[in-house]
Amino acid sequence: MEENGNKLHKTMTSQPGMSDVVLGCVMPYIDDPKDRDAVSLVCRRWYELDALTRKHITIALCYTTSPDRLRRRFRHLESLKLKGKPRAAMFNLIPEDWGGYVTPWVNEIAENFNCLKAVHFRRMIVKDSDLEVLARSRGKVLQVLKLDKCSGFSTDGLLHVGRLCRQLRTLFLEESAIIEKDGQWLHELAVNNSVLMNLNFYMTDLMKVSCEDLEFIAQNCRNLASVKISDCEILDLVGFFHAAPVLEEFCGGLFNEQPERYAAVSFPPRLCRLGLTYMGKNEMPIVFPFASLLKKLDLLYAFLDTEDHCLLIQRCPNLEVLETRNVIGDRGLEVLARSCKRLKRLRIERGADEQEMEDEEGVVSQRGLMALAQGCLELEYLAVYVSDITNASLQYIGTYLKNLCDFRLVLLDREERITDLPLDDGVRDLLRGCEKLRRFALYLRPGGLTDVGLGYIGQYSPKVRWMLLGYVGGSDVGLLEFSKGCPSLQKLEMRGCCFSEHALAASVMQLTSLRYLWVQGYRASESGRDLLAMARPFWNIELIPARRIVGEDAVIEHPAHILAYYSLAGPRTDFPESVIPLDPSAAGISS
Amino acid sequence: MSRASVELDFFGMEKQNCCKSRFQKSLDRRLSFRGLQGALSKVNPELIKSVIASGLKNPQGQDNVYQMDSNKSFSVPSSPKETQSLFPALPLLTPAARATSENGPETAPLTIFYNGTVSVFNVPRDKAESILKLAVEVEGNSKNVEPIDSKVASPPSDRQQLLETLNGDLPIARRKSLQRFLEKRKERMTCASPYAC
Repeated sequence: MEENGNKLHKTMTSQPGMSDVVLGCVMPYIDDPKDRDAVSLVCRRWYELDALTRKHITIALCYTTSPDRLRRRFRHLESLKLKGKPRAAMFNLIPEDWGGYVTPWVNEIAENFNCLKAVHFRRMIVKDSDLEVLARSRGKVLQVLKLDKCSGFSTDGLLHVGRLCRQLRTLFLEESAIIEKDGQWLHELAVNNSVLMNLNFYMTDLMKVSCEDLEFIAQNCRNLASVKISDCEILDLVGFFHAAPVLEEFCGGLFNEQPERYAAVSFPPRLCRLGLTYMGKNEMPIVFPFASLLKKLDLLYAFLDTEDHCLLIQRCPNLEVLETRNVIGDRGLEVLARSCKRLKRLRIERGADEQEMEDEEGVVSQRGLMALAQGCLELEYLAVYVSDITNASLQYIGTYLKNLCDFRLVLLDREERITDLPLDDGVRDLLRGCEKLRRFALYLRPGGLTDVGLGYIGQYSPKVRWMLLGYVGGSDVGLLEFSKGCPSLQKLEMRGCCFSEHALAASVMQLTSLRYLWVQGYRASESGRDLLAMARPFWNIELIPARRIVGEDAVIEHPAHILAYYSLAGPRTDFPESVIPLDPSAAGISS
Repeated sequence: MSRASVELDFFGMEKQNCCKSRFQKSLDRRLSFRGLQGALSKVNPELIKSVIASGLKNPQGQDNVYQMDSNKSFSVPSSPKETQSLFPALPLLTPAARATSENGPETAPLTIFYNGTVSVFNVPRDKAESILKLAVEVEGNSKNVEPIDSKVASPPSDRQQLLETLNGDLPIARRKSLQRFLEKRKERMTCASPYAC
């Protein structure tokens, strides 16, 4: 004791400020990744303490580091999130075999990460063998497994998960491309698990799952709070709903029977987050009895027209999250603005292009945006596909939506004439008004934003960390002006650019926080040499050259991609043929 | 492979195309094959000439020139050598093999290397000859016709135009999940009665 006391005393006198003991108590309360980042840079001791106590790591691109490095620094990690393919993969723009294999990570997890309880793979390639390794090595402790927009595995791989991961609270498979052999995996889960809280295989094409197994899970897992499934007749789920009294969230299902029959369906009493696939106007009334409880509504995959949206939304005064297609229309947005004062997140996706497939009224324009801005003052996230736009509507957003952290606007290309272009002033005023903005996307058309407007984006986005820019600016001048600003920009995606390789490289060198760049559609040169102006240590540059694929009767053009990112792990070693590393040494530039 | 042309289906476009709905295929049909040949004829012959001539002038055995000849082995260098280009391994695209066999001996693949892209067209012999004739005719003042893969010259404006055509035509991409939903919806709607399907 005396010795320890002396040691403590020594520490306290040799290091002014907190002793290690005190710091060790305080450190676990520091959660924010940016705070942790700062803490780890103070001194060696703090770096080590952070490494010992950090609970969660997100690796935004798996190739920026290696499993080995992760283990050496954060051996006691409890939760890991890894992302693979570029975001553009969600839009079918990235080759399936681009990369992002989980195998080396799973192997490291199996051997060394003894404290890991939560694993989240996003847009990565997962094999059945990976799932087997993970389940066998960590099955006893794993509580959260998320295979988020992943591919490469089958229901056989999920069998291991069902059998061996008995502590799983969360199994998340949303939008993964899964090869379906049978529904046995769900049965294994039903038989072996009694603690499941979140089950999600929404937007997968799994058809062989049995409703009995779902009901079985509901009976065994008394904490089952969220279930999102693939297509399954709602009438077959009556038993399941009955067996899940604490269910708060349900998405999926389908409606194949006569509308009257659905009156018999009663939903669990706490259900407040809902999304019923293929729900039409005749089935919609089954939601009315509890519509006022709804906090989240997913209408992306429903069959509702503009009027239906109005009827439903006006009954949901407590709505906080709405996702739907642009069939909601300006009129639906006006109803939303009047009825849903607590709305925090709104996502309006692009519906069908053909006239006859969507409601005529189903277009969103400045009219809806202006109503929304004035009505839903608590909005934090707004993503919208518009058919028409004005500077004024963007100015309204800047004036009213002071809590906006994430704003994304895509101008659809159906209409030839747009009311008010360019959007320079509106964009400027939006950025100046929305001071909390962290994420920003603007996808327009030639003439939509001039070089001056692009300069405004650079000037007025001090906190923005991620941007997607499509068809903005008019020349290299705009890009260079833009890149003088954006002090916080870490991740930049651009599409349909008029910029040269030279300007792209120069702008990368000017953007002080940039660690990731993705570009598709730019003024590619003969050899790509101009891009080498951005060659520097730890900066990987990859290309997917332009391809023109001549088929029988169609020619599909795929413009070139550039992907560049900081990495501590050097260039990849698993390139497919379609991806080419740009090698600075070939041009005599030392790296 | 003993076929006359090497076939690489990088992105599984064949499979993708098979799985695509008619709806999607009609969207993709933005540029018909005939339209492509028409577009080619609008390109400045000077350009075609320099491209073809450089292709002809390329010494044999250079790694990064891909011949359509089945006798040559097809190699994709994984890391560029000192003198090689910065696109050491350009993916080679070919039309579907079935196109070649359907068209029979009258047409053969014509490969054009242009500004970092590779295009392959099935053209009948006489057309190919006239393209080559054009190239040789308009010899002009081309100093050293550069092989595609060497130094950079600042591109003249007409080259730029073609580049822009190749690099600028980008329809707004649709999210996968919504794409699938819209296709499924279309299928449901085309059924005479939803209950009968």
